[in-house]
Amino acid sequence: MPDYKAPVDDMLYLLNEVFNAEENVFSKIPQYNEVSNDLVQSVLEEAGRFCAGVLRPINISGDQEGAHFKDGKVTTPKGFKEAYASYTEGGWSSLAFSPEYEGQGLPRTLQVLVKEMISSANLSFGLFPGLTEGAAEAIEAHASEELKQKYLPNMVSGKWTGAMGLTEGSAGSDLSLVKTRAKPRDDGSYSISGSKIFISSGDHDLAENVIHLVLARLPEAPAGTKGISLFLCPKIFVNEDGSLGAPNTISVGTIEHKMGIHAQPTCVMNFDEAQGWLVGEPNRGLNAMFTMMNAARLLVGMQGLGIAEASYQTASAYAKDRLQGRAPGARETGSIIEHPDVRKQLLTMLGFIEAGRALAVYVALELDKEGFHPDAAVRARASSLVALLTPVIKAGLTDFGFETAVLGQQTLGGHGYIHEWGQEQFVRDARITQIYEGTNGIQSQDLVTRKLPLDGGKVVADFFGQIGNVIAEGKGVAEVLSLATQLEAALAGLQKITLRLQSGDLANPLEQNAAATAYLRAFTLVTFGWLWLRMALITVKKGAAATPHDKRKLLVGEFFAARMLPQVYGLFHEIEAGSTTLMALASAEF
Amino acid sequence: MTTLVLASHDQKTLDASTAKAVTAALALGEDVHLLVAGSNIGAIADEAAKLQHVKKVLKADAVTLEHQLAEPLADVIVSIAKDYDAIVTAATSVGKNVLPRVSALLDVQQISEITKVISTDTFERPIYAGNAIEVVQSLDAKKVITVRISAFAAAPAGSDSAPVEPVTAQSRQYRSSFVNEALVQSARPELTSARIIVSGGRALGSSEKFDDVLFPLADKLHAAIGASRAAVDAGYAPNDAQVGQTGKIVAPDLYIALGISGAIQHLAGMKESKIIVAINKDEDAPIFSVADFGIVGDLFKVVPEIEQALG
Amino acid sequence: MTKILVPVKLVLDYNLKARVKSDKTGIDLTNVKLSINPFDEISVEEAVRLKEAGKATEIVVVSIGPAKAQDALRSGLAIGADRGILIETTEVVEPLNVAKILAKVVETEKPDLVFLGKQAIDDDSNQTGQSLAALLDWPQATFASTLVLEDGAVQVTREVDGGHQTLKLALPAVVTVDLRLNEPRYPTLPNIMKSKKKPIATQKIAEFGIDITPRLKVIEVHEPPTRKAGIKVKTAAELVDNLKKAGVL
Repeated sequence: MPDYKAPVDDMLYLLNEVFNAEENVFSKIPQYNEVSNDLVQSVLEEAGRFCAGVLRPINISGDQEGAHFKDGKVTTPKGFKEAYASYTEGGWSSLAFSPEYEGQGLPRTLQVLVKEMISSANLSFGLFPGLTEGAAEAIEAHASEELKQKYLPNMVSGKWTGAMGLTEGSAGSDLSLVKTRAKPRDDGSYSISGSKIFISSGDHDLAENVIHLVLARLPEAPAGTKGISLFLCPKIFVNEDGSLGAPNTISVGTIEHKMGIHAQPTCVMNFDEAQGWLVGEPNRGLNAMFTMMNAARLLVGMQGLGIAEASYQTASAYAKDRLQGRAPGARETGSIIEHPDVRKQLLTMLGFIEAGRALAVYVALELDKEGFHPDAAVRARASSLVALLTPVIKAGLTDFGFETAVLGQQTLGGHGYIHEWGQEQFVRDARITQIYEGTNGIQSQDLVTRKLPLDGGKVVADFFGQIGNVIAEGKGVAEVLSLATQLEAALAGLQKITLRLQSGDLANPLEQNAAATAYLRAFTLVTFGWLWLRMALITVKKGAAATPHDKRKLLVGEFFAARMLPQVYGLFHEIEAGSTTLMALASAEF
Repeated sequence: MTTLVLASHDQKTLDASTAKAVTAALALGEDVHLLVAGSNIGAIADEAAKLQHVKKVLKADAVTLEHQLAEPLADVIVSIAKDYDAIVTAATSVGKNVLPRVSALLDVQQISEITKVISTDTFERPIYAGNAIEVVQSLDAKKVITVRISAFAAAPAGSDSAPVEPVTAQSRQYRSSFVNEALVQSARPELTSARIIVSGGRALGSSEKFDDVLFPLADKLHAAIGASRAAVDAGYAPNDAQVGQTGKIVAPDLYIALGISGAIQHLAGMKESKIIVAINKDEDAPIFSVADFGIVGDLFKVVPEIEQALG
Repeated sequence: MTKILVPVKLVLDYNLKARVKSDKTGIDLTNVKLSINPFDEISVEEAVRLKEAGKATEIVVVSIGPAKAQDALRSGLAIGADRGILIETTEVVEPLNVAKILAKVVETEKPDLVFLGKQAIDDDSNQTGQSLAALLDWPQATFASTLVLEDGAVQVTREVDGGHQTLKLALPAVVTVDLRLNEPRYPTLPNIMKSKKKPIATQKIAEFGIDITPRLKVIEVHEPPTRKAGIKVKTAAELVDNLKKAGVL
């Protein structure tokens, strides 16, 4: 199997040189006062070793074997149980949780980067701790102290895992259609009845208990999204003393047969008067869910990025090794990396990956500020930025992630299509990241209709302002002048379209909907251009002290500006074409 | 320049590595003496005396030396070291165990596992697992050297016998003692650490033929057995024998590929081998593009011929 | 009450391929990942297991090298060693001199056991443990694949040519470890965090009063010979002949 090596160098470069995380963020947050560069490096290195040594070796085998469902029980592929045990014993599940619930209290930024590594190594595996974290965060934010004390420590330690019961057969992107019912019981708990589908980590043999968070309707709840409540239903009841009791009336209907993430049991879960406890206020269930959505969507973005990185590592190694054909001008058979078209594939992969990682670190640091910065104004500003960029991360990183996986497959030719090298698995696994946790279509609607209007448009204007500042700086530096100039033009185009979507001719639901996916992509590209320019400027500033890693940033940045950024002009044209051609064909004619 | 070579033996016979260490010693100067240390090793000393160019054999015969433990063995060497300009031994497990002890007692910086003698004080040795070669000059008056066995040819046996003289082993109390040993002569080395690998492909045709062709050659070479993915998939060899991208990555001194076409997955797992030999019927098989030596032919004929040629 | 001293070395990460500098003065170590020598990781792991089994009381890791060598100590501390000693120098310290300095450390620390990796994967010398044992006049067991600590003694099974040999050493003793002794754990997150707070004492190498002038002069470091264009041979005899000449038979 191709080796995976966690890109710790690039991560440290982003933290230390691009964003100066210790000085600008960690040292400003009292909870993080022990988080030094040195600690960050050790954590990332050891996490990388763990992912490469423990999770990666069971990625292809897990895909080929798949999760099993027999006699109502779900079992995971060979090696997953042991890997999960070392994951939790290693304390990785508790990384960013509060010490109050026996977490390690490390920055979210580290969790985000570790998430990239886990996703590179084994996406199916990552969904077990991933769902647990999501559920635990929702409980921490909204549940009663009693529920928190009872469930959180064991979820934080990974002894129990979590699952999120949202989707139903007829309630997917639109959760207002949820039908699952909750009846109050005399003891203050509820009886939950209904069927949930697409439940990642819904059941398995990795942990002794699964804590389900389930969306359901109370009797006489208002219709629509304002009538949905959130309930906690354990697979096995937890006694007063913390020991496990009888099983709840929750059963697995089946596991889905899917395109990818085969090792991950995606379950149909049936709740048959299962006992549950209300989390948060009645009828405020969706709110409780959405407070953790920013984090969850950021993490899905990391899945797209992680897969792209893994695919790139195999593709670049293969391209150097594979002797085939003669490069233009060559007299002898050489490696395919000498061919311009193959280089284009690899550079396009890099052009996304390293800017995508920079964006992730940027947003993750804002997430840390949002959560813990002592200054309320800083928290508020961070919160707005995170809100604005969350759909960009989720959809941008997973769309480009998938495309990158396809490129990485293409580089290997026929070897990319067979199982052995794992490249086709990355393509299949990456596909889900564009779909779950809100499809990328939903993400772009979110960006255009909810995020652009934030604070009367001031949030996005401030963000464009940040980009403009770097462009202004870049235009004074000869080595990055071309990059800065190209970005300036692209940003100007994006700003123009943004204005039209906010208050001009495109500022109506029909045009916004029609423009959204193209807009999100153009937004993502301009954001990447900004980050490439920032990285290129660092290289120039370092002068003679620039490392090969620094110099590479400058060259890949130039490639990005020359060959990837211009995509925005096609997107602008597409948006300008408006909704007319989309709506002209009658629905019945499809 | 007079050199002392510590002879390698297993208490029964002289080990072939001794003659190779002698070759290295002769490159330092013509006066080479051998030390045979052990218990009841008279016959071994006599055998050693027959090695060509060896001027003298010293025999340290004592019960304390029976298992060639580092402490008593080092003491013997140190007791006679003053007469020598260089002390050399093959990098066997005994040699690697004792010589650094000797070097410290003599206050000499040892030169480990040399692969070439450039002059009496300058040597080549591999570092970084053979990814680089270091040329070093020793500034110590006395040289203490271990010799990589694979890098030197064996000195031939001569017709005359050198004189054998006894050496007294010190008698003192040592704080290490031998408990037992378990020597497995026939067991094959592990794939990833083997010096030689014999690897088979789908051309072997069946699990029986795979064993019939590969095992005798592997036994003769003390080699590990490998296989291509195609051979493993066909059930000729177990999974853990698979060499390649999805199997084991190996880099032995010698890799012999029998009936393996050389798919890129396979090459990825063995292309770092020092010497690659390919035997294949198809003269266009990609394996030949990485092989140092190739024979185009029927492996069922060629392999027995190789065994014969090995003698 | 067994105290274990574990010397560790920072080397080019074992996943990376060594690249010879163009001026042939050595291996290029700028901007590359350096890690604890993998054999040393095994020796720390073994010591920690003994401590966890209640058979050892304190584990001290020691490293000789530049300030960066702290990283190797931190790796050892993250596995579970208790404290570290950094003996700082920017000079090359040859194995014999390393052994001499370690002998001084043993004088002050008074451990019952010293565990070392059987060799460092950079210079592949395989000397320090044996030389240290000689300087201390302690018994030694190299290439350990099994280790049992008894009262006042340690029983060690060694990997030797053709099989295994078991020795019993009276303490204090030096043991060098081989690959199969154990599989080092992945440090847990809490231990990584704790390792940052464990004490590391720094000493200058000059304090030891040992002359560390090299006894070996590196004339040059070059690439191993590259693969020659392959040749086809006609007969088995010709093949065997060539293999003998190439020195692999």
